[in-house]
This record gives sequence, structure tokens and C-alpha cells, in this order.
Amino acid sequence: MLYALMGLGLSLITGILNIPNFAHGALFAVGAYLLASAAVAIGNFWIALLVAPLGVALLGLVIEYAGIRRLYAAGHDYQLLFTFGLALILSEAIILIWGPVGYSYLPPQALRGGLDLGFTFYPKYRLFVMVMAGLLVLATWLFLEKTRYGAIMRAGIENKEMVSLLGIDIHKMFTVAFALGAYLAGIAGALTVPIRGVNPGMGVDMLGIAFVVVALGGLGNLLGAIAAGLLIGVAQALVAGYWTEASTVVIYAVMAAVLLVRPQGLFGIR
Amino acid sequence: MKRPIVLLLAAVVLLPLLVRPAIATEIWIFAIFGLGLNLLLGYTGMLSFGQSTFFGSAAYVSGWLLKHYAINVFLALGIGVGVGAASAALVGYLCVQRSGLYFIMLTFALNQLFYFTAYQWTSVTGGEDGMPGIPRPALAGIDFTDPLVYYCFVAALFLVALWIMRRIVESPLGRILQAIRENAVRAEAVGYDVPRFKLLAFVIGGAFSGLAGVLYAMLFGIVPLEAIGFVFSGNVLFATLIGGSGSLYGPVIGSFVFIWLSESVSTLWARWPLLLGVAFVIVVLFLRGGVVEAWSRFWTWRSSKPKA
Repeated sequence: MLYALMGLGLSLITGILNIPNFAHGALFAVGAYLLASAAVAIGNFWIALLVAPLGVALLGLVIEYAGIRRLYAAGHDYQLLFTFGLALILSEAIILIWGPVGYSYLPPQALRGGLDLGFTFYPKYRLFVMVMAGLLVLATWLFLEKTRYGAIMRAGIENKEMVSLLGIDIHKMFTVAFALGAYLAGIAGALTVPIRGVNPGMGVDMLGIAFVVVALGGLGNLLGAIAAGLLIGVAQALVAGYWTEASTVVIYAVMAAVLLVRPQGLFGIR
Repeated sequence: MKRPIVLLLAAVVLLPLLVRPAIATEIWIFAIFGLGLNLLLGYTGMLSFGQSTFFGSAAYVSGWLLKHYAINVFLALGIGVGVGAASAALVGYLCVQRSGLYFIMLTFALNQLFYFTAYQWTSVTGGEDGMPGIPRPALAGIDFTDPLVYYCFVAALFLVALWIMRRIVESPLGRILQAIRENAVRAEAVGYDVPRFKLLAFVIGGAFSGLAGVLYAMLFGIVPLEAIGFVFSGNVLFATLIGGSGSLYGPVIGSFVFIWLSESVSTLWARWPLLLGVAFVIVVLFLRGGVVEAWSRFWTWRSSKPKA
């Protein structure tokens, strides 16, 4: 479910802005570190969970406004180089600020321990993450499908020129989309902290997964992102049970296998 | 037409006098790597963010054979070229059916597939520690362990690679690739099988990357895990773009700038990738068009200044 969340944010950014965002993993990592720091500083996990993703969204706002905005006319190559440079800066900044060694953080008191589901025993916090991620995906879906601004955004994925001809400030929409995508990456990062802790390499690991989700699910395709996220998550969990070493490789192997059968992705028309 | 070649030969001769032979060698290796990417990016219009897949795979396979079976240098290079081409054929087959952003994402994701395979397969690749102990066997009495001799060998191979690449881009094949870059739909309509030509370009690019990979492994005597990582793919992209993609000598200039830049900042600070990231951002925001354009802009700026 977290994978779906990551993929969804990236899918929005790539789909609407039409840029390859290689800083998406770094935004995820920033979200995680912000949560860890905020939770320690404030002493309350819930407030930190509210604040950290907003911080990432703010960072996204600045990045779009100061940098990416100037690059819409440039080719994908320069956009890629820019976001890649940003990813390097952010991940090195993380090492500078928080140090090269990762650490773990315990879930809040109420969510520690497990829950007996009858057939299996499941950690409470993981259930919470699943519910949270599900709600966020649902909220994003409602926003895109049921609100006026969401409809404009979907139109923007289809045809940018037409949208701007209709008198809509497309640049403002780009900023909003980037901030929203950054927010989703940030909250995904924040939510993983009590499960996996934080470490400087977490962004890059997640970046690859997010791209796999988008490549399989399709740009700007909400349903596709969810399906691809679930597919990868389940495949990884299944393999991890039998052959732990291969659990990262399997993500990409699944992608390659799907693309062999369906080169256009899960739901792609072409 | 003759001038770049004269300049290039002068650079080949002068470079080892100016910098350490290892760095001079690295520049030419990186230039070979860049030539391969430039065929994709500059001539065919395919932005591959996974070139280190072929670089790293070739380095691992040839390095392993050099280490355990003490194979001949030329055999190692040949195998490296083969591995580079074969891995590029595999990756390319999946990627060329998509274009634009999807193509970038797929090359990157498949790069990650190879990276994690190398990362986990510690018994062969050494995982995070890299694969050390790769020899530079002597050939017909020539001792390649001498850095200067190895430099000459690499520089000669670079000139051969450049010559081959020039033949390719000026051949009918090169023209077809440029037609695909300009307008893929029209090239298709004229009757060219676009995905097949894209795949062909991808395989040739992979072969160049493979050659560079083996030379790199022999230069440092180790295949580090980074050699197959995505940062490496990004670096070669930066080098190609800063030199100016789409011109034959662009990646050569770019690799000069990049190696010089990374060598000088890496001694300054342990967190030097941060500076590199800043350099990327600055180049993209202010110096688009590469070194060549920046140079000409600098001259117009100078000549437009009122004389004091």
C-alpha cells in the first residue's frame, strides 16, 4: 500500500508536469527524517505525522517554484539532470544533518504490539499504516475524480495546451501538483519510519520502486498505481518468505516479466 | 574538419604530462562510455538513464574471468564488448517499445535490477565491497602494470572507438538514427522499422559501455559496486550533456570537464556528491547547451562590455 502511495505521488508529478522526477525518493527520505526529528523534538508522534509531510510539500513547492518552473521548455535530459542533481544534494544534506548511520524509531504507545486476527498475528502499527495509506489513496482519488480542481488536473494530464487555452493558470496547477506529489512522498516516508527506521539509502531504494509502479500502472493512472503497488508489495512479501536475498531484485524482475507480456503496462492502451 | 583531430592528438600526448596517468586514463575511458550514450541520446534521441548496467556487467564478467582464469587482455575486452552488447539487447528489447518518460523510467528500473543483483550476489561480486584483485596481464611482452603504458593503450583504444563511432554516425545507419531522432513517425512511414533500429543503436551503445567498463576495471584493479549504480549512469549523462550531445566530440569534452570536476571536488570534502549535485543544478539552470555554448556566450559578453 505504501508502494501505491509513492507511485501515486510520482505518477501525479510525472503525468501532469511531464518531467522525470528523480528527486522523488529523496523527498520520501526527507519526509522520514523530518518525522523522526519532529517526533523526538515535540514528543508526540501524531503531531509529527501531521507536520513532517507538510514540510516536504513546502520543500516541493520551493523546488518547483525556483527550479523546475524554468525547465518546462527544456528537454527531458536537462529535467532529469536537474532532479538527479537535487536528489544528490538532498541525500548528501541528509547525511550532513543527521549523520550517515541510520536509526530506528518505535511506533507510538497505542500502536505497539500485535493484534490477533484469529488466523494470524499482525503488528498493530502495520495495520494502521495500511489503513492510513488506503485512506490517503482514497482521498487523492476523491480529490481527482470528484472535485473541480481534480478534474482540471486530470484534463491537464490529457492535454495541457487545451487546459491553458481555457483560461486556467496551468503554472499554478503544476505547482499544486508537485506539492501534492511531494506531500504523498513525504507522508509515505513518515509512515515507514516506525517500521524500517531511517537511513540515508532509503530514498534511492524507494525511488526505483516508485518508478516501477508508475511504469507498470501508467502515468497519472490512479487505479494502475494502486494495482501495481499491490502487485509488487505482494510479490516482494511472498519472495521474502522463502528467499530473503532476492526480495529487492524480485520487484524489478516482476516488472520485466509484466512488460514482456504487456509492453504497454498493466492498463496502458498504448 | 582536420582541426579537431589535431587538437585531440595533442590532448592525448599532453594529458599525461599535466595530470596523473590514472586520471588521464580515466578521462579517455569515460569518453568511450560517453560516446556510447551519445549515440543514443544525441543521434537517436533516446534518453537512457541506465548506461551503467552495461558498463558494470561487462566489468564484472571480464573482471571475474581475468581474476580466475587469467585470460588475455584482448579476450577480456572482447568479452566485455560482448557482455555490454548482450545486456543492452536484453534491456533494450524491453525498453524500445516505449518512448519518452516511460523509456527513461524503464532504463532506470532495469539498471536497479542489475544493481541489486550485483549487490546481493556477494559470492561473485563482493557486494558492497566490490570485486578486488583484477590483474592487468601483460601482452606480448608489453607490461600494462606501468601506468603510462596502460595510458597509451587506453588512449589508442579511445581513438579507435572514436573512429568507429564516426564511421557509424556518418554511415546510412547513422542517418537513419538521426531521422528517427528528428521524427520517429515519419521514419516509420518511410518504411524503417523504428524499434529495430532503436534496439540496434542501444546494442552498439552497450558495446561501447562494455569496453569502457572492462578498461575501468583493469585501471583500478577493482569493480566497485558504484560502477553498476544509477549515480554512474547520471554522471555519464552529465558528461555527455555538458560537452554538448549530438556532436561527435561533445562527450570527449564532457568527460574532461566531468573527471576534472569530480577529481577536484572529491579531494575538497567528504560530502563531495553534494557539490556535484549543485554543479548539475547550476549547469541545468544557467548553462544549458554545454561548454561550447557557455564559451561563446562568454565571448559575446566580453566583447559587448564597454571598453574602460
